Amino acid sequence: MKLLDLTGKKILITGAAVGIGKETAILVNKLGAEVILIDIDENGLKEVIASLEGNGNQFYSYDLNDLDGIESEIDKILFGFGPLDGFVHCVGIRSRRPLSMMSPKLLSEIMCLNFGSFVELVRCVTKKNNFNKGLSIVGISSVSSLRGSAGVTAYASSKAAMDCAVRCLAKELASKKIRLNTVVPAQVNTPAYKDLIKLKGDAKDDILFRQYLGLGEPADVANIIAFLLCKGSGLITGSAIPADGGFLST
Amino acid sequence: MTNKEKIRLIEETLELEENTLTENTMLSEIENFDSMTKLTLIVLCDDEFDKKLTGEKINEFKTIKDILDFMD
Repeated sequence: MKLLDLTGKKILITGAAVGIGKETAILVNKLGAEVILIDIDENGLKEVIASLEGNGNQFYSYDLNDLDGIESEIDKILFGFGPLDGFVHCVGIRSRRPLSMMSPKLLSEIMCLNFGSFVELVRCVTKKNNFNKGLSIVGISSVSSLRGSAGVTAYASSKAAMDCAVRCLAKELASKKIRLNTVVPAQVNTPAYKDLIKLKGDAKDDILFRQYLGLGEPADVANIIAFLLCKGSGLITGSAIPADGGFLST
Repeated sequence: MTNKEKIRLIEETLELEENTLTENTMLSEIENFDSMTKLTLIVLCDDEFDKKLTGEKINEFKTIKDILDFMD
């Protein structure tokens, strides 16, 4: 048995137009899976789909802030695509905002997209006939859910909420043979990281001192997601798996 | 918004006393002008002026006038 093999599997990925979601779509497709990609960025989705192998891949432009519309959208998508073997939730707002500039509305928006859409999607994909036995669900969390950092209260709280939901739902859904985990990246080489370094000036050395295996790439995180989707990770559920270059050990 | 009004908005946002700042105030002279202060100004430009200020750009600014010009 190959450790990383998703031949014939069907996997839903949100936030798939860029970054970790995009890299995950490309990787799991190479490993044999058919994918459904959801993102608000339709042009980005078209580019990703064009780079994939096979004819069964699909994409849907949808704003996951609309929680009430998710159930009908998922039912419609899966009616044509068939039941899922995997679901990866990469969509999220990466917000940096001091407390003095926070508002109830902004807090609600971040919690809605980063956390609310995850729980609602899990509810919908775990309905009868929407999944195959062995369904694996992976959410993208962040080391900020476990370590304090100024200016990211809403973002970090939304990721901590996701980690907590996964621990609860892993127990609740185990009898249906469904596993749930989160992957917990530290700093990944993205435009947001590059701007953070410019803002903090001398922060780069501090970040890389703590993240002593170096800066991660989206593909590094995608590798761990792919493993969690495969049979070989069948004993892992309810966990937050670090993809942090050692950050949480310092 | 006039420059005087913008300066007052910056003072309020950074919780500084009125008339603490002028157009010529050097950013490095502002008390506790650190990465959180810069982040606060970035969010202010986005929220109030719909201007996307980056970490790289704000590090090029020397005086309050540089911020006022960016807000236009």
